[in-house]
Amino acid sequence: MSTTTVRSGGDWLRQFLPRLVLAPSFAITLVFVYGFIIYTGYISVSKSKMLPNLDFVGLDNYRKLWKTLNWQVALDNLAIFGILYIVICGALGLFLAILLDQKIRGEGFLRPIYLYPMALSFVVTGTAWKWFLNPGLGLEKTMHDWGWASFKFDWLINPDMAIYTVVIAGVWQSSGFVMAMFLAGLRGVDEEQLKAAQLDGASTFQTYWRIIIPQLRAVFLSAFVVLAHMAIKAYDLVVALTGGGPGNATEVPATFMYSYTFTRNQMGVGAASAMIMLMTIAAIIVPYLYAETREARHE
Amino acid sequence: MSSLEIRDVRKSYGAAHILKGINIGINSGDFLVLVGPSGCGKSTLLNMIAGLDTITSGELLIDGKVMNDVHPSQRDIAMVFQSYALYPNMSVEKNISFGLEMRKMPKAEIDKRVADVSQMLQIQPLLKRKPSQLSGGQRQRVAMGRALVREPKIFLFDEPLSNLDAKLRVDMRTEIKKLHQRLGSTIVYVTHDQIEAMTLATKIAIMKAGVLQQLGSPDEVYNAPANMFVASFMGSPSMNLIPSKLVMQDGKLTASVKLKSGQELFLPLAENAAYNAWQGKEVILGLRPEAITDPGSAEATSKLLHQADVLIDVVEPTGADIYARMELNGQDTVGRMRANCGAIAKQNAPVTFNMQQAVLFDPKTEERIS
Ligand SMILES: Nc1ncnc2c1ncn2[C@@H]1O[C@H](COP(=O)(O)OP(=O)(O)OP(=O)(O)O)[C@@H](O)[C@H]1O
Ligand SMILES: [Mg+2]
Repeated sequence: MSTTTVRSGGDWLRQFLPRLVLAPSFAITLVFVYGFIIYTGYISVSKSKMLPNLDFVGLDNYRKLWKTLNWQVALDNLAIFGILYIVICGALGLFLAILLDQKIRGEGFLRPIYLYPMALSFVVTGTAWKWFLNPGLGLEKTMHDWGWASFKFDWLINPDMAIYTVVIAGVWQSSGFVMAMFLAGLRGVDEEQLKAAQLDGASTFQTYWRIIIPQLRAVFLSAFVVLAHMAIKAYDLVVALTGGGPGNATEVPATFMYSYTFTRNQMGVGAASAMIMLMTIAAIIVPYLYAETREARHE
Repeated sequence: MSSLEIRDVRKSYGAAHILKGINIGINSGDFLVLVGPSGCGKSTLLNMIAGLDTITSGELLIDGKVMNDVHPSQRDIAMVFQSYALYPNMSVEKNISFGLEMRKMPKAEIDKRVADVSQMLQIQPLLKRKPSQLSGGQRQRVAMGRALVREPKIFLFDEPLSNLDAKLRVDMRTEIKKLHQRLGSTIVYVTHDQIEAMTLATKIAIMKAGVLQQLGSPDEVYNAPANMFVASFMGSPSMNLIPSKLVMQDGKLTASVKLKSGQELFLPLAENAAYNAWQGKEVILGLRPEAITDPGSAEATSKLLHQADVLIDVVEPTGADIYARMELNGQDTVGRMRANCGAIAKQNAPVTFNMQQAVLFDPKTEERIS
């Protein structure tokens, strides 16, 4: 009699312990992530200015947002930055991975060199590149000191070119990580397939182009999703490197969202821009997660 | 269709000597099967023939031409891999035609060859599928198709059937044999499977730890194994190796064998001048299980039959035959008998020794005495 109660007590514990342990983190996530997403969603359709104000104004804030010149600039910059960042990181990452895949000596030495930038935060990267690209301090000054007086590299303070410095710093930081992803993918290709390709008379280029790279579809997709959401969320890099300037030349949606919400007393518009960013990221990630889980179920 | 010659080929990875001087020559149309325990260097040798691995020393000749430094794609060799190594991103058709495409063959010719090969292997309905949509047996066919379509000088197979289930393996074995007979191609084939080796080969090469133990026809390696390793490696159950002493009995040389009962048998030996020097000495007597059988199944034409009553320890039925275990000179020995011969465990049964098939080994060098 008593043993059954003990056992059922143990069963109860076994059944509920995991839930019990997970409950606090679950509750915290629920409130602080999803709760605040909903709260932000509501703010974006409210009359909030400097402080939250719960009066409902429909889509007014969204209309205002799309008429704001700054937001247009931010979107243009995101397009330039996002496309260049993803394409260059992807291409460079793949290229470096293929070079490392040639079983060269010193791979163990080279791989971390490419990977270390990823260990830095974007703030550090941004600050370092700010100094490096500063015409009075970094590259340009060094070249002048070395006697190359006509050397000019002032992208950082040139409103037309400043966004490209963000691309450079972002690519420097992330391409090593993309390389590691591709390298893992390349190493996953069956050795015997490569032998078969050799016997079939395929050149190294053809082997990569026709056989190996097509098998890296999943890696391309993962790299794209990771890079795309980093591009959309890019905030710290821009703040540290250019502070959104010169003027508003490097404004991106994330810096726009911060300044409108917290410094320009336009909380409603800021929240609306946050919702747009959320939906853009969701549009990229949800299909990916869906495809991933479906694949997992297939296995 | 080409001849292949391997001359004193060695392979080392650093200080590890994997192949220690292999000499093999086969003629055009031969089907060479490489067998040996895992890690003995079969795949290494195959890769070296294909050019996928460098040769440390020695020479590899195809049609009399040294191939050591010729690129794999120029050797005109096709290989079927154990994992099949199909390109997963390409359709079956593309997989088969890829090698021809890389060799810049005209489209019409490629189409014709793919059509011919897919008909021969009966994979036309699969041509548009991806490898992931195929069963193991179908993948195996496609892998063969990819090799066949090239019409190469030499085919290499590295354990091509080991991933198939038993039934399919037997079917594919028959098909490979038919294919070889039809095309008359030169083939080098690696397997772990005794029966595959015996049924397919025109020549078998048995390797051990990077050393070639014997090269010969299936009949030779089975009936006249060069040493005790080959004797025990080929055939299943393997050859019985019984320690024995050669003694003169009635003016003839015999191998003496003691039964559990204490009775001593004097098994007659075939005439062989080499045996005389071993009179009175210890040898290893090699007898295949089918040479130890019930009197009804014994080969009637054999002149050297010797019958005796032997205590059977264990009887293992396998369907048509039974394996009867007995002790000879303290050595557990297997005989193969008809299922209905009446042998029962723990009882005496009449056993016939077919000494025509017996071989003798030197217990020290383990080489066959001949
Ligand atoms: N790249 C390498 N470096 C060092 N040793 C190697 C290398 N490749 C193979 N070997 C060694 O060479 C030996 C022979 O390998 P191989 O693959 O030829 O064996 P195998 O006869 O094909 O065995 P199996 O029947 O298991 O396929 C093994 O001992 C293996 O460890
Ligand atoms: Mg092998």
